[in-house]
Amino acid sequence: MPESAANSRGECLWLAGKCAALLVLATALGFAANALRPVATRLPWIGDWEHHVENLAFRQGVPVAFLATVRERVNDPAAAIFDARTPEQYAAGHLPGARNVPVAEADRRLGDFAAWLKPTTSILTYCGGADCDDALELAVKLRGYGFDNVTLYPGGYAEWTEYEGAVHAGDAP
Amino acid sequence: MSRVRPVFIWLARFAVAAVFLGACIAKIRDPELFALAVNRYRILPGEFVNLVAIVLPWIELTAGLAVLAGPARLRAAGATLIVGMLTVFTLAISLNLVRGIEASCGCFSTRADAAVSDGWNLVRNGALIWLGLAVLRDAFRRACARAAGNSE
Repeated sequence: MPESAANSRGECLWLAGKCAALLVLATALGFAANALRPVATRLPWIGDWEHHVENLAFRQGVPVAFLATVRERVNDPAAAIFDARTPEQYAAGHLPGARNVPVAEADRRLGDFAAWLKPTTSILTYCGGADCDDALELAVKLRGYGFDNVTLYPGGYAEWTEYEGAVHAGDAP
Repeated sequence: MSRVRPVFIWLARFAVAAVFLGACIAKIRDPELFALAVNRYRILPGEFVNLVAIVLPWIELTAGLAVLAGPARLRAAGATLIVGMLTVFTLAISLNLVRGIEASCGCFSTRADAAVSDGWNLVRNGALIWLGLAVLRDAFRRACARAAGNSE
């Protein structure tokens, strides 16, 4: 074997060896740090992301919106915001301008909005937070009714209030 | 030129290391939020999301430290990992821009109100890859020169 080829293979080997050493060290540190965390903040090695509401929405073709977009929608008078939680939860506090449309009563409630709701209206749905799927169910239902511009806010009311978003209480939007 | 080059390499090392050391802090502090950011790319199967969220910030930390303070061989390895990570991040962001998936890059902040990724992220990553390659080339040459010196 020519000497230069052997040298270049040797150079590649030491670089690969050092990279592997850094990766092993980082993996060990990551595993140790996670194992030493308090149980409440420890991340399971394998998470159940397949049933996460955002992944379910992705698979069903429902776009999701995040906080920055939701803040814009709240200030957009042409956009509709639907709160899929119960009337009691809605009355206790909701996003400014949001109308209450619990999934079970969607048909009746949407009939009330027929005068101004158009198939192209930009609609945002939300519920309690990342662990509820009522808003997704409502979004799928709305798309089934022919509304094309429906977006899910997966962070929901919990995230909105966590980031100090304005809240309206009572039965009115 | 020969005086400018070492200064440039020092600045490149500092810049690349500072970016990666700064980027890993929020991810190490709150792996659950970082896992959510990883999931939002919708590229990895769900089973791998948490593993990546647990390990990736520590790769950023060790690679950043190696580039900043390591000897030539370790510095070359750190720069290789950084260029590799940046390439993967850039491909992932590009893929989401093409697919129209709205997601924060999860680079420096895991907060829900972090800015959504756009073309600017690609430009920034391109500049960092260029700096990382300069650091890698310099460290590799120094390591080889040292090895040649030792063997003579």
